[in-house]
Amino acid sequence: MIPQTFEYTAPQTLEEALGLIAGGDRKILAGGMSLIPLMKLRLATPGEVVDLGRVSGLNGISENGGVVSIGAMTTHHAIETSRVTRAHCPLLAETAGHIGDVQVRNVGTLGGAVAHADPAADYPAALLALEAQIKLISAQATRSVAASDFFLDAFTTALEPGEIVLEVEVPAEDQSEGYSYEKVPHPASGFAVVGIAARIKKDGNRIAMARIGVTGMGAHAFRALAAEKVLENGGSVADAAATVGDGETPNSDLYASADYRLHLARVHAARALATAISRAS
Amino acid sequence: MATTISKPATLVGKGIRRQEDPRLITGTAVYVDDIKMPGMHHAAIVRSPHAAARIAGINTEAALAHPGVVAVFTGADVKNLGAVPCASSLPGLRVPHHHLLAQDRVYYTGHPVAVVVATDRYVAADAASLVEVQYDPQPAVADPEKALAAGAPAVHPQWPDNTSFTFHQEGGDTGQAFRDAEIVVKQRITSQRLIPTSIETRGVVAEWRPGEKSLTMFTSTQIPHLVRTLVAGILGMPENHLRVITPEVGGGFGSKLNVYAEEALMCYIAKEIGKPVKWVESRRENFQATIHGRGHVDYYELAAKRDGTMLGLKLKLIQDLGAYHQLLTPAIPTLSVLMMPGLYKFKSISADIIGVFTNCVPTDAYRGAGRPEATHGIERMVDILAAELHMDPAEIRFKNFVGKDEFPYATTTGLFYDSGNYALPLQNAMAQVDYAGLRQEQATARAAGKLMGIGLSTYGEICAIGPSAAMPAGGWESATVKIEPSGKVTVMTGASPHGQGEETTFAQIVADELGVDIDDVMVVHGDTAVVQYGIGTFGSRGTAVGGAALFYALQELKAKIKKFGAMLLGSDNVSLVGGSCVDDATGKSVSFAEMAVAAYHAKTLPPNTQPGLVATYFWEPPNFTFPFGAHIVVTDVDRETGRISIRRYVAVDDCGKIINPLLVAGQVHGGVAQGLGQALWEEAVYDEQGQLITGELTDYALPKASFMPLIESSHTETPSPVNPLGVKGVGEAGTIGCSPAVVNSVVDALSPLGVRHIDMPLTPQKIWKLIVQSGGLS
Amino acid sequence: MKISGVYTLNVPQERAYALLQDPAILAKCMPGCEGLDRIAENQYAMRMKMVLASISGLFAGKVTIADPNPPTGYRLIVEGSGKIGFMKGDGVLMLSPAGSGATVHFEGDVQVGGTIASVGQRLLDTTSRMLIKRFFTRLAAESAQAGVERVAAD
Repeated sequence: MIPQTFEYTAPQTLEEALGLIAGGDRKILAGGMSLIPLMKLRLATPGEVVDLGRVSGLNGISENGGVVSIGAMTTHHAIETSRVTRAHCPLLAETAGHIGDVQVRNVGTLGGAVAHADPAADYPAALLALEAQIKLISAQATRSVAASDFFLDAFTTALEPGEIVLEVEVPAEDQSEGYSYEKVPHPASGFAVVGIAARIKKDGNRIAMARIGVTGMGAHAFRALAAEKVLENGGSVADAAATVGDGETPNSDLYASADYRLHLARVHAARALATAISRAS
Repeated sequence: MATTISKPATLVGKGIRRQEDPRLITGTAVYVDDIKMPGMHHAAIVRSPHAAARIAGINTEAALAHPGVVAVFTGADVKNLGAVPCASSLPGLRVPHHHLLAQDRVYYTGHPVAVVVATDRYVAADAASLVEVQYDPQPAVADPEKALAAGAPAVHPQWPDNTSFTFHQEGGDTGQAFRDAEIVVKQRITSQRLIPTSIETRGVVAEWRPGEKSLTMFTSTQIPHLVRTLVAGILGMPENHLRVITPEVGGGFGSKLNVYAEEALMCYIAKEIGKPVKWVESRRENFQATIHGRGHVDYYELAAKRDGTMLGLKLKLIQDLGAYHQLLTPAIPTLSVLMMPGLYKFKSISADIIGVFTNCVPTDAYRGAGRPEATHGIERMVDILAAELHMDPAEIRFKNFVGKDEFPYATTTGLFYDSGNYALPLQNAMAQVDYAGLRQEQATARAAGKLMGIGLSTYGEICAIGPSAAMPAGGWESATVKIEPSGKVTVMTGASPHGQGEETTFAQIVADELGVDIDDVMVVHGDTAVVQYGIGTFGSRGTAVGGAALFYALQELKAKIKKFGAMLLGSDNVSLVGGSCVDDATGKSVSFAEMAVAAYHAKTLPPNTQPGLVATYFWEPPNFTFPFGAHIVVTDVDRETGRISIRRYVAVDDCGKIINPLLVAGQVHGGVAQGLGQALWEEAVYDEQGQLITGELTDYALPKASFMPLIESSHTETPSPVNPLGVKGVGEAGTIGCSPAVVNSVVDALSPLGVRHIDMPLTPQKIWKLIVQSGGLS
Repeated sequence: MKISGVYTLNVPQERAYALLQDPAILAKCMPGCEGLDRIAENQYAMRMKMVLASISGLFAGKVTIADPNPPTGYRLIVEGSGKIGFMKGDGVLMLSPAGSGATVHFEGDVQVGGTIASVGQRLLDTTSRMLIKRFFTRLAAESAQAGVERVAAD
């Protein structure tokens, strides 16, 4: 890679990191699976890169009182394979396993992906369906933002200048829940053409709770609220899936036109829901 | 040359592992980018972001002022050097003058405009962005059919019709064939532009030695000797003062069967600045500025009897040439025409090629080079005919194959197919998949509303390219074998293998012929100062032509060794057995090493014999070879999403005699991967303005390991009479056989919906739209 | 790439037309625009800094207002080029009254070239819609009245 010249700093502590990113033409490197390709192409030409890779305390997965906390610098691979995520938020573990390829999963991080907010990223669908909280920190304060308030537009989040993602808190999934992440990966980039994250809780044969996150469809991931309601009101999977994307303007690109993308979202929503229902007890 | 081979072959035919692989998989191979020289400078190339523009001015001041920059070269500097060469000559061919750097216009995105040279690679790249080029954008045309339309922008203003050449070939009486026809099927079939995408991009290091007045160029190429001759020509220097070294080459697939502007530019710059200079292409440059493959729009008409007998074939072939001719650009579609009858007994063919300029990077040879396009065309047409006649696609093929007793078979396109048993691979493949059972299963699946397809292709190809009469600049190949004084054997092959594994297969041949240990054989290639002139590796010719040259050199050498053996044994009746020479009468023997020492010490010499043990052979092949085979692909199409799954991939290939089955399997697997790439995923897309919008690996979908089906590969072995090894070549077979089998399978799956043809790549969206249009979703 | 959309502004049509013609307003509302300098009648030199995720690029270009037909519409041509590529937007804005406000219907074509074209096609549609939305959102704010309501865009 032949990027433009840049300064590189790898702070060791969170305090140091937050001090560094408080000002200047600085980009945060949190794995670099999006930033580095852009720097390679010289589309991104930051004057200074602050690598969070050596900051202690940003990496790790733990469960406490029904909440799974995942540090921002935890890799996709760790989330995919961790016993904690597999036991308590298997939807997130399954989603992580669909990101990019093995090399990307070994290096890319949850915090990096969330902060980058690519409209075709996988995590946002799952984090919305899981009603996760994103904890943000700056030199001044910490705050917690619901996933539904975090992803605002393409590459645009609730992060303020000087703020970074500290960790993501995921309410543990109930053991009886069913879940599924259904993805159509782009054959070249591996990004989600569409990705559907579904959670289902049953009460006998009735669907007591449905959560559906959709990515790849629009400028940012969103909850398919209408579809959730259809299911919770006793409607069929087919009827629910048919509402996914209503009111959205689907993305269109060389691989999938808007109408095909919408169709894929609905087909895969039905499939994700069917799998989630079959996994729920 | 008539030495009897006394020792039974022991290594030829065995799947021994590649001698090359340890260095490749341990990271100890040396590629162009690994080469470092004292004082080496680095070049970065400024390329046009426009597909068509006038250059109003170039300001290099800011770049030159950038610390570390030593020079900036523009079109004016190289105006009087020679042009990037095109070796093809067709009657009336219009050849635009292809300057090393753009002069007053640019013709495609990626067109080199200036070169910045700096002490450091990063600095060179920084400074490249400081070169200010004032472009005055002009209308561009990227689609060959649109380029032919009236009023289209002229790619080269002097040729407003955008036509570089037209070429007509006819064999037999197509007029009569179409009059006799009981059925005629017609179809427009495209073969999309593809990006060859070798893992190693192009790269050049050039060094000028003023004392010796000589240039050394390291370049990642398939044809070091031709590059030397042609680059020396561009620079106007004696070719024996230019040494071309090809270190490890990380893939070429035809894209490095070329002479590129950058090769001549780096040589020129090294001499100008008096320092070694390196340029290594980025992936984005590789996509924009290294040749693409394919780029056909074909209009076929097939005349037949209602019993399936095929009579005549007509083709109008529109070839997207791009903006310039690279080395073989205009010749590639003529290969398609040669192979258009496939394996079938056509009484007549007629073809018209229209070579069209577009504002795109030139097309040229890419794995298969003209033959995949031809095979795709004929194999699709046969299936379309079968469907019209409600015949089984296998049955119609069996009915029209050239019979196994009809060889050599003269085609209507002027070729002589060397040998074959075309029905056998298809029979084997059908047995392997239980074809009748599969058809029953398909009927059941269809009744249940499922879209299951069975597709087959029976391909032929033209390999061992080729007789010199058919080539622009020689089609022979050379080999030198040296038995060193210590008895070790060095082979120098003019073929320039770059992944094909000839360091192994050639060593196998040598070990068997001379009876030496394979580890005592070293195969040297890719250095014009060391290796005698050669042509190179392309067109599945490395073993079929280069291996044959090696075989004949070995026979000469064996005759000479035998003289030394006879001298040492004091007998006229001796035989070579293993590595020894044996007195037929007494059984006494002398070893290989003893004979080598005798030849080099030369205390006494056999009559009329020179010291030393070296033989060189330049072999001119009498014909091409014609491998063939049958591929069967079983697919399932997801009715809801259009997604295609390959359930089975069966390949039965006949590449003549197999020297190393492991390497043949590797070639088939790699070839099929690239065939699947074309069939399902890959397409170089230029937008209306001539921007390459599949400009990186994030948008251009190559097959990945996880996409690959299990390839069930087997072989029939019909030796070729063309060369003494009986080999035919296998480098391109997988690619050629693959794409029609896949498309035939998917069209078969969708045939209940009335689908009769689909152009590649078969993306899910395309399939879904067809399903929707047919009402098949309801 | 074709773009089109309909936005409603809560100002009368004449006022909306005036806003959409005002270089000061355009400069404030065009995402990344760092200034418009008049170079000729209805033609302005533009400096723009585009920032999108980690991508940033400086563009220099011009904005041309052609075929003005107050208050029903005009043609807007925006051209820019920089190190990461170039772009050209050429479209027609058509205004019509909508209650007490005005509807702006636009239709046009966006071309991009250079690096952004060769690696950006996946995001071109999404991001151009986002930038247009930002433009109208800011325009609505500038009109110092109640917000802008997007009716439909595709």
